[in-house]
Amino acid sequence: MMTSQLRRTFSFLRAGTGPPLQAWTASRCLFLDSGSSSSDVGLVLQSQSTDVHQNLALEDWIDAHVDLQQRHILLLWRNRPAVVIGRHQNPWSECNLPAMRRAGIPLARRRSGGGTVFHDLGNLNLTFFASKKGYDRRRNLKVVTEALRRLGLDARATDRLDILLNGHYKISGTASRLSRKSSYHHCTLLHSADRSALSAVLRPSCPGVQSNATASVPSPVTNLVEHAPWLRWEQLLDAVLQQYNAEFGLSSASVLVNPADESEFPGLGSMAAELRSWDWTFGKTPKFSVETLLELRDEQLSARCSAQLHMEVRSGLVERCRLGVPAEWLPLGLSRQLSEVLLGERFCPHRAAAAVTALLLSESGPLNGRLQNLSEALLAAMG
Amino acid sequence: MAMRATLRCLSANFSTRLPQLSSAAQVSARRLLWRSSSPRTLSTTSVLSTALKFTEKHEWVQVEGGIGTVGISNYAQEALGDVVYCGLPEVGQKVEQMEEFGALESVKAASELYSPLTGEVTEINTELAENPGLVNKECYAKGWLIKMTIEKPEELDGLMDQAAYDKFVKSLEE
Repeated sequence: MMTSQLRRTFSFLRAGTGPPLQAWTASRCLFLDSGSSSSDVGLVLQSQSTDVHQNLALEDWIDAHVDLQQRHILLLWRNRPAVVIGRHQNPWSECNLPAMRRAGIPLARRRSGGGTVFHDLGNLNLTFFASKKGYDRRRNLKVVTEALRRLGLDARATDRLDILLNGHYKISGTASRLSRKSSYHHCTLLHSADRSALSAVLRPSCPGVQSNATASVPSPVTNLVEHAPWLRWEQLLDAVLQQYNAEFGLSSASVLVNPADESEFPGLGSMAAELRSWDWTFGKTPKFSVETLLELRDEQLSARCSAQLHMEVRSGLVERCRLGVPAEWLPLGLSRQLSEVLLGERFCPHRAAAAVTALLLSESGPLNGRLQNLSEALLAAMG
Repeated sequence: MAMRATLRCLSANFSTRLPQLSSAAQVSARRLLWRSSSPRTLSTTSVLSTALKFTEKHEWVQVEGGIGTVGISNYAQEALGDVVYCGLPEVGQKVEQMEEFGALESVKAASELYSPLTGEVTEINTELAENPGLVNKECYAKGWLIKMTIEKPEELDGLMDQAAYDKFVKSLEE
């Protein structure tokens, strides 16, 4: 559905011949007025942004504002390093949040389903927009596998809609969203991603998370350049573009779009802000519990013991917390106070540390060391 | 064909749930409908309160004692494929008609759920947490999603009844 403001801003320019990746800025050409053509129209867009939240917001913006009833759009994009989880996933079980914090790698929750992926500039994202009727993931993936086959690579889509190279290594995963009137299907494509960074971040933050959130299916991955070292990024994009045109009977060149431009994409900024918010990223985590053992130590007395931790987290907030610390280690009243101080706080070690500080300051006696140790173990269990 | 299948699915799921109106009650109910010309008389919805009403987004709502039970239709569950996760709202959450109140994730995609009415969520189907497949297997019975209050009963008048919905689905399949 096009607002009148958009109709004024955009006019359609049908890209003709010329170098396949020549790009026009969005101000000159974008969307066809609905109803002016009876046949299907297609468009290939390339995002100038490498900000994961902005690009995810761009997807939502296109889905919400562009009439996709008789139009196909392919959006090509890539992000600076980021971890992207599926809509109903649990970030604490899917990725290593402390490691990501240390490396400055942000977390994003997308609106489509599916599992967790690592993005960096060596990973190409493709989003296929269509009407609900035109929703055909296999056809979309054929664009990718055919493009790769033409480059001499053995790429095949599985039943789960992963793409495997040489029948073994995963180079692409798929997810999608069906909204009010339209659909989008997006997939990753590993060209030259940092695989050691990938495996460092795609592991749990903390032990003992129990939830019915949708779980990722881990697979061995590889990059295209590890099998075709001559394959440049631009060549890959070109091959995909050509195949998209061939599959959908189009002759588009790709158009550069800048999602940061509010005049081109009014409202995108606030969509990105919502995606960046803690409430969306962490607060949307399905209810879960943490069940684990804390290993406690008293350095002065060279003593050790184990304590049971049981926590329940709903909407990212601690709803219940039970610490089973042996009474001879720490008075039950103290461990109970520690667990109570966390109730209602975000399940986050920083927030928990702040909440616990007052209690630690008030307990300045000989038990302070053990209480500190218990707090540290508790915080470590929160990722 | 689709209509017959839908009706079969309905009757199989509903035989124990819908209270049967006696034929006398049915006749007088119809007479009341004919007579209701002013807003002060009985509205359509309170008489037919136990029948299903449908939205264009393929959700159904069944009203009983002022509470609406909401689910998705057979057409929707078939289109979705196997549901693997139900993202439902919290009890107490207020929703507007046509506003997104949750999402179902299936092997095919994550699909938004749109509220058929304006009201407040009173109950969510907790069985779906362990058994999301109920949405596919018993979309009109055990696979219900939420229960809600009905703030604006007139919204029900704008929804489709079974016959209208079947016609609507048929038009989509063409």
